[in-house]
Amino acid sequence: MRELTYLEAVREAMSQEMRENEDVFILGEDIGVYGGAFGVTRGMIEEFGPERIRNTPISEAAISGTAVGAALTGMRPILELQFSDFMTIAMDNMVNQAAKIRYMYGGKGKVPMVLRTPAGSGTGAAAQHSQSLEAWMAHIPGLKVVQPSTAYDAKGLLKAAIDDDNPVIFYEHKLCYRTKSDVPEEAYSIPLGKADIKKEGTDVTIVATAIMVHKSLEAAEELEKEGIHVEVIDPRTLVPLDIETIVQSVKKTGRLVVVHEAVKRGGFGGEIASLIAESEAFDYLDAPIKRLGGKAVPIPYNPELEKAAVPGVSDIVTAVKETLNRL
Amino acid sequence: MPKEIFMPKLSSTMQVGTLLQWFKEEGDSVEVGEPLFEIMTDKINIEVESYEDGILLKRYFEEDDEVPINHVVGYIGEAGEEVPESPPGESGVSNKPDSPKSPESSEQQTETAPQEQPSEQPEKVRATPAARRVAREREVSLAEIEGSGPKGRVHQADVESFTTTASAAASSASSATPLAQKVAKAEGVELQDIAGSGPRGKIYRADVEKAKQPEAASQTVPAKRVKMAGMRKIVADRMLHSKTTAPHVTLNSEIDMVEVVAMRKRLLDPVEKQTGYRISYTEIIMKATAHALKRHPNINISLEGNEIVQHDAVHIGLAVALEDGLLVPVIKDADRKGLAELTADCKSAGQKAKSGKLKPDEMSEGTFTISNLGMYAVDTFNPVINQPESAILGIGRINEKPVGVDGQIVLRPMMGVSLSFDHRVIDGAPAAAFLTDLKAILENPLELLM
Repeated sequence: MRELTYLEAVREAMSQEMRENEDVFILGEDIGVYGGAFGVTRGMIEEFGPERIRNTPISEAAISGTAVGAALTGMRPILELQFSDFMTIAMDNMVNQAAKIRYMYGGKGKVPMVLRTPAGSGTGAAAQHSQSLEAWMAHIPGLKVVQPSTAYDAKGLLKAAIDDDNPVIFYEHKLCYRTKSDVPEEAYSIPLGKADIKKEGTDVTIVATAIMVHKSLEAAEELEKEGIHVEVIDPRTLVPLDIETIVQSVKKTGRLVVVHEAVKRGGFGGEIASLIAESEAFDYLDAPIKRLGGKAVPIPYNPELEKAAVPGVSDIVTAVKETLNRL
Repeated sequence: MPKEIFMPKLSSTMQVGTLLQWFKEEGDSVEVGEPLFEIMTDKINIEVESYEDGILLKRYFEEDDEVPINHVVGYIGEAGEEVPESPPGESGVSNKPDSPKSPESSEQQTETAPQEQPSEQPEKVRATPAARRVAREREVSLAEIEGSGPKGRVHQADVESFTTTASAAASSASSATPLAQKVAKAEGVELQDIAGSGPRGKIYRADVEKAKQPEAASQTVPAKRVKMAGMRKIVADRMLHSKTTAPHVTLNSEIDMVEVVAMRKRLLDPVEKQTGYRISYTEIIMKATAHALKRHPNINISLEGNEIVQHDAVHIGLAVALEDGLLVPVIKDADRKGLAELTADCKSAGQKAKSGKLKPDEMSEGTFTISNLGMYAVDTFNPVINQPESAILGIGRINEKPVGVDGQIVLRPMMGVSLSFDHRVIDGAPAAAFLTDLKAILENPLELLM
């Protein structure tokens, strides 16, 4: 199978869907000739034209409002926000309109739209362009939240997101864009709400999202040398969440470490830890659940501080050993 | 104004106390004299009573926590009164002269309870959910299990290694001969429950049939395990500390006890008449030791920090064996007491030790210790110094031996003695001089009159 980058996989998913379905179109800032802030839509305007690859004014409120309206009238819009931090400007449309309408009208209307947006730190983009705010969206009933970590997952999950009749927030981690994996050429769909065991193990379960999946796999490899077999689970979608896969894993390993880049305080890791404590896996826990998350600071511009603000491979190694009393 | 409850200082060496057990919950009403909690010091277990009437407002420490002396353990006051959320640390009023909780004022209720500590409150054990589940399944008490995790937290593996190795049985289940499996199925016998007699526990038909018979004696009995706690732990810590900090040297000698034997015979009746007790060799040896210590003040010393403290008083500790450890009651001013008084003191101290009635001040301030194993078939041994003292005398049995006296071989009642001393503060020659002097006194007890 050929390899694609994560970025190419996202583009391919959209292009294939747009060739099949006339209702799908993209709107966002500078997504035309420029190809979007990170180049995801590069070349698409040449194939699909400015009607379906629509450049917008610099207004996330306008973009999201347009998308909600288009979706209500039967289109299946994909909107791109240059940075997920700008979600704040689109918040009212997403939370009070997109998430609510299908419920408030008893299912008579629906909002089939996808909000794609790059998230996370690691590019030196500083405090206003580096956040991980997925927990906000996961809190809102009516929104689905997807966080793919690999190119393969990105393509399959984006197809499922476009096909879904509900608004879906699709987070693309900036550092994942250049990662590569085998991606089938034909279109395929990965159901929302199905976690993936990225690596099997018996001693400790790590639940990680986005770029932390890669860091956890790296940590797992290091721990393997010391005879510690880590199971790495990527939930892939926060809403709906495949808690069952995590419960089964924790019942097997008895230990859980949750890792995300988002600030630990109020982060989604707390939700996962709580669900496990409430679940039948509780009686199998043989160590306190550990959460790793970003420090409660705005992401610094200084590259060293930026790295220090979020969990790294060595933090994950240490956390795993702590749960095993091996420090 | 809520009143502080704090960790009392019960001996000169006490730095921390371990909270063994609370007798009161937060919100319980408390009266003066009621026991609040039980603590373990470096020497004893003791109940601490309340000096206030009121409501127990706050408990800052849990069982098994170590609390530095004079640190606030909790508050007593009126319902609803405000107290700090976190432990306020050292008590602000602990130095007041009228401060409660001097050990003397709690003498009446003071009790040592060395054997009682473990397994009284199994629900307070620190254990993971998985460990609790496995303990439940195997019907073992978590309190008996030594945890390997932080702060003694019991993990699943601890429970598993504590109980019989079920894994061996499980693995044997997979290695059973086909015939054995067939028979087991037909008879409704669980292969997991069978101990195989073949290589690596392989199960044969004979094993299955044996298991069929009601309760064949194939069950292996697990070794008895007891959590090391209470006095056992104190003894362990103190012995280890002494052996690892003080370079021990032991001098051995033999003492001709013919004069002491005669003297004791003549003293038996008068002492018994005066005290009701029969004088034993221990008291005479203690008297002689005290006499020798007065002549050798360089043995009657302690190392405290960087200073060598030479004690004027001679307080001699007497090691008393108990069922689960030992205690060392101290006979104060042994040099100034006559043999009758020493006999009375030693006997009552021994009885108190055995019945757990010794008070902290009856076990403190020793300057030298005697450990007597003479009632056993022991000639000499190397006793471990009872710190902060610097020397200890071990007494062996009195045994008739041939010795040369004035060119003749005669049988004499000889007693083995061993003096262990801390070579950091006492050198070989002065220790030898002390032991020689002690030997001279016991061989000519009239010297005690000097």
